[in-house]
Amino acid sequence: MHTNTRILANKFEYFAPKSLAEALNLLEQYQEKNIKVLAGGTDLLVKMKTVDLNVDYLMYLKDIAELNFINTSNGLSIGATIPFSHIVKEDRIKTEYTALYEAIQAIAAPAIRNMGTIAGNIGNASPAADTVPALVAFDAQVLIENKQSKRTVLLKDIFLGPGKTLLRPDELITRIEVPQVKPNTGSAFIKKSRVKADLAKINLAVAVQRNGQNCEDCKIVFGSVAATVVRAENTEKLLKGKALTEELISQAAQGVADEIKPIDDIRSTAEYRIAMSREMLRDALNLAWARTYSEAKPNLKGGGE
Amino acid sequence: MSKHKIVGKPIPRYDARAKVTGSLKYADDFILPGMLYGKVLRSIYPAAKILSIDTTEAKRLEGVKAVLTAKDVPNNETVTRFGQSTEVGKGFEGLYRVLADKKVRFMGEAVALVAAETEEIAEQALDLIKVNYEPLPGVFDPEEAMKPGAYLVGESGSNIIGEFGCSQGDVEKGFAESDVIIEDTYRVTFQDHAFMEPESGISWIDDYGVLNIRVSSQVIEHFRDVADVLGIPHNKVRYIGTIMGGGFGGKEDITVESYLALLTWYTKKPVRLVYNRDETFMCHSKRHPFVMKYKVGAKKDGKLVALEAELIGDSGGYPYLSAWVTLYATVNAAGPYVVPNVKVKADVVLTNNTFTSANRGFGAPQPNVAYESIMDELSRKLNIDPVEMRRINCITTGGALSTTGQVFNTYVAFPEAAEKAWEALGEPSDSEDENIKVGRGLAVGLMSYGRMTFLHDTSRCYVKLESDGSVLIRSGIPDLGAGQISLLCQIVAEELGVPMSKIRIYHSDTALTPLAGTTTATRQCYMSGNATLKAAREVRSRILKKAVEILNVNEGNLDIVDENVVVTYDPSQYVSLNKVVKACDTAGIELFCEAQFNAPFTPVPDLSNIRGTTHPDFTFGAQSAEVTVDIETGQVKVNKIVTCYDVGKAINKAAVEGQMEGGSIYGMGYALYEDYQLEKGVPKTLSFAEYRIPSSLDVPEVETILIESGGGLGPYGAKGIGEPACSIIAPALINAVYDAVGVRIKSLPITPDKILKALKEKSL
Amino acid sequence: MKKIPIKFTINGQQREALVQPNDLLINLLRDELYLTGTKYGCGIGECGACTVFLDDELVLACLILAVTVDGKEITTIEGLARGKELHPMQISFLKNAAVQCGFCTPGMIMTAISLMKENPDPSEEEIREYMRGNICRCTGYTQIIKAIKEYAHSMKG
Ligand SMILES: Cc1cc2nc3c(=O)[nH]c(=O)nc-3n(C[C@H](O)[C@H](O)[C@H](O)COP(=O)(O)OP(=O)(O)OC[C@H]3O[C@@H](n4cnc5c(N)ncnc54)[C@H](O)[C@@H]3O)c2cc1C
Ligand code: FES
Ligand code: FES
Repeated sequence: MHTNTRILANKFEYFAPKSLAEALNLLEQYQEKNIKVLAGGTDLLVKMKTVDLNVDYLMYLKDIAELNFINTSNGLSIGATIPFSHIVKEDRIKTEYTALYEAIQAIAAPAIRNMGTIAGNIGNASPAADTVPALVAFDAQVLIENKQSKRTVLLKDIFLGPGKTLLRPDELITRIEVPQVKPNTGSAFIKKSRVKADLAKINLAVAVQRNGQNCEDCKIVFGSVAATVVRAENTEKLLKGKALTEELISQAAQGVADEIKPIDDIRSTAEYRIAMSREMLRDALNLAWARTYSEAKPNLKGGGE
Repeated sequence: MSKHKIVGKPIPRYDARAKVTGSLKYADDFILPGMLYGKVLRSIYPAAKILSIDTTEAKRLEGVKAVLTAKDVPNNETVTRFGQSTEVGKGFEGLYRVLADKKVRFMGEAVALVAAETEEIAEQALDLIKVNYEPLPGVFDPEEAMKPGAYLVGESGSNIIGEFGCSQGDVEKGFAESDVIIEDTYRVTFQDHAFMEPESGISWIDDYGVLNIRVSSQVIEHFRDVADVLGIPHNKVRYIGTIMGGGFGGKEDITVESYLALLTWYTKKPVRLVYNRDETFMCHSKRHPFVMKYKVGAKKDGKLVALEAELIGDSGGYPYLSAWVTLYATVNAAGPYVVPNVKVKADVVLTNNTFTSANRGFGAPQPNVAYESIMDELSRKLNIDPVEMRRINCITTGGALSTTGQVFNTYVAFPEAAEKAWEALGEPSDSEDENIKVGRGLAVGLMSYGRMTFLHDTSRCYVKLESDGSVLIRSGIPDLGAGQISLLCQIVAEELGVPMSKIRIYHSDTALTPLAGTTTATRQCYMSGNATLKAAREVRSRILKKAVEILNVNEGNLDIVDENVVVTYDPSQYVSLNKVVKACDTAGIELFCEAQFNAPFTPVPDLSNIRGTTHPDFTFGAQSAEVTVDIETGQVKVNKIVTCYDVGKAINKAAVEGQMEGGSIYGMGYALYEDYQLEKGVPKTLSFAEYRIPSSLDVPEVETILIESGGGLGPYGAKGIGEPACSIIAPALINAVYDAVGVRIKSLPITPDKILKALKEKSL
Repeated sequence: MKKIPIKFTINGQQREALVQPNDLLINLLRDELYLTGTKYGCGIGECGACTVFLDDELVLACLILAVTVDGKEITTIEGLARGKELHPMQISFLKNAAVQCGFCTPGMIMTAISLMKENPDPSEEEIREYMRGNICRCTGYTQIIKAIKEYAHSMKG
């Protein structure tokens, strides 16, 4: 019941494999023995201190050099252990995957961004995770490996509920793959929080592909409104293939709240989230649209508003 | 003295270098050989009967050295005392228990103590203590708790623990004569101090059997309370107060000390005990939430005629300082306004919520929210400019409080403060976005400095000029981070003409430093400042007398400047301070002095109708703010805050400005974000993620305007500023939001959710 | 639980230690190396009081296992001054009265130094943005921001 955040009271055995193969071997060996993997620790260690999460074996991933990479030559390929702050140093993140850039800059503060990872953001499966809506908007896939095999899962399908993913105990996220964005695509991420450096009350990523005055394709993904990330597919359909007029945007904004059905919690109320989702969608669509042709000028402020 | 040498200068603090290098040893930074780790087991219910506690298994765990419960506490029922020298009567006794006995009164109440060889073992031992509870219904709303038949939080027949009132004139008649009447209810919520340093301390028994406690505390006089808890003579407990990592009233009541004392007493070993952050949130006091029903009447020309206020405060599970806080709220209920007809009634009530006690501002900020919202309403209704409204109604020099009739014979900075704060806002900002509205708000207020005069407050200080010309100060003053010790050094530097670098201060040690009283009630600059001034001036006069013999000049024509005694009209004539010191030594003249300063003493007032002087003096000020409100999101952004106070005299300008800036943001957090939430007595906001205080990104730059009237009771005419500094900004922000979007938020905090809801209701 | 030997550099000096897997860096620093300038304020990454440099990057010592610093370099607030000579950021904090209770100060200074490395000429907005994970209850940030601005300014000229 009581927590202790001054120490880590939980005793466990510790592994720090140096290679992926070694790591997968260990997972295979200890999969039934309450093993957990540790990346930046910004979620896992917090939970081990504050909620009843005990582990018997802890495997540290950051000594595995082969998982610490990012490749932007053809789409994005992001290794499991590269910290957020290194990801945003890549120019293409800012210019082509603007929503992801903004999502990362909206996370906590520099020290946390030096520690935390995208794989951890996914593995933690919090409905408020900031990179998830952005990655889903870019159709990200997750490469999951165990000793025997690999599988690729669409990011949006990986979540089963708050704190729950479909990963099996012997599996590891090794890489996040994001397809090359189509030409004339713009994107935006917006987060609302109580004070700026805070978990989202509600967050949203939008990616729009433009064809003349028409919206060729679009993705609208909300976080922090339900148990898992929510794609507003009906609203997307409404916009697809049409000229993105102010009227159409208003229509989309009106409808989106019904589609995402937000919840009440300590950070906010459903009512507020409904009101917010409308305004955020309007703003995000406009921002993303404005970025479809021009060189993206992301909102460098980051953080919530 | 006409010109000050060092007073009024923004000098770096005495303790700042040790802080920037990380070498300063706070309470948690101390380690002793063989030290044990203390931990507290806390109740998991807000209201419950304790049927039994079984500590057998915990005691058996290897490495556990003590497990203690209520039956091990020699005097478990105790009252919070704060070094006051008078009997103030039952109404003011802040009763509480060291460890919960039979009945639990709030969630997180201490139930058992553990000392073990490591923190991990202590933690395990907590798990092994079996407490058998019978949950009780509890009561969580003070208005409910006041009703007959309500669940009784304590053992007495009523939950009401304090009733206060004051009145003048005839409010009924006043309302009948009024042209406009505003009647409304305002609510303010729990505020946590959220100091960065958790409660912490370490204890040991010395060679002579004295219990030593090195602790982060605003009140080292608690050594007496700890001795009483143990049932040992007062001179067998010694407090060594550390420099605190913030306090704001949250380290005013006893925190870890009794626990440390008990664990060390039983184990005879050093014990360290530091709270976790969540423990800090759950287990120390909060600012009192108040429900405030106000009715205020005014004439068409803006003149106030009548004010009636009914205040209900939530005391949480134990009284602690609730009665005192409620008295402050009562005295402050009509603000700094001239109102011929006033009636105030205030009740404070036990509930099964986290207990409430002192928090920066004490009872001043709460009624300020109510009356300044109403003043804004009135000025809008009557179409009178907000500054003009204050010009018409504020008390001025020679005026008196409309609640108690306490008279102010020194300068009252109204309407000056209001005018200056408002003017400094400058031209309103433009908004390019039609959904983003700009608004500006003003509020004025007052808060006392110095303790209530019926407590008969005193402070002492020892100043010694060493034979080499260096200076030693001994003062029991606790430093909570606001620069208390530095201030005393500066006063001595001024009086004795020595640089700060030559002064050493020993502070807050009940065995070795003269008691200076509590660092609470914004009293230290006033009380210990004066005690220090008195001691330093005595030493100074002995020096000057000797110098008169050497220089053959009248004492009145001498000053001590840069370690020389100089002739003021001819600085080429001087003698070095060192020489004078030597001469004094040779002549057997003592160059030390321990001086005592006494505040004015008054009798305990009639609590049902408080009249006359309750506080030595008040600090007056005004704050203004410009905000933008996004009508689509309800988001408030504060563009600018101006804070203007009459500080009397800014002895250390940088420190005073720091208090005013920090205080503004402390109050802005209260106004906009901070909300310690409980659900049926169960706290929900036990981390900085859930209890949000402003970050660097949320706050604007604060503009400070100092008025230096010289009218204060402190050294060089200084007034206190620490608490007043945070007490006025909340209503300024409420008023600014109203100005922007036309909705008045009547319960803190002003969240976007509330603004949107109010906007929606308004448009219906 | 067996203890694990680790080697690391702390404030320029090589050190060895035996740690348990569940030991945290903050406690290694404070309780074993007596470097108590790194503060515990929350233990879960929310206050910044425990900010240190790990291989020249800012991290929070309360969320790092001590075993994982094997082979790495750590700098704490105690490692900034060169003998009696303070780091210019420390001096700027002193001069600008950016220190009240001082409990947030070590973390603030570490973060401010990191900002200067990444962005030597930050705007006020960028300073506020970068410092947002370090909370201060006393100052209201005005003087802290001023101290950082002044430092940046002095480095330019
Ligand atoms: C003060 C603070 C503020 C924060 N603010 C934000 C915020 O604003 N927005 C936000 O989105 N998040 C925030 N977070 C949460 C956290 O920083 C992120 O979720 C981060 O991405 C977690 O990454 P990590 O590497 O630290 O994960 P870890 O804590 O190491 O791991 C998290 C979970 O993922 C699992 N995991 C890690 N790597 C893998 C892998 N390769 N394969 C399978 N499972 C894996 C772990 O077992 C664990 O269950 C905050 C955290 C803190 C402490
Ligand atoms: S103690 Fe590490 S961030 Fe608060
Ligand atoms: S100076 Fe006290 S918390 Fe920053």
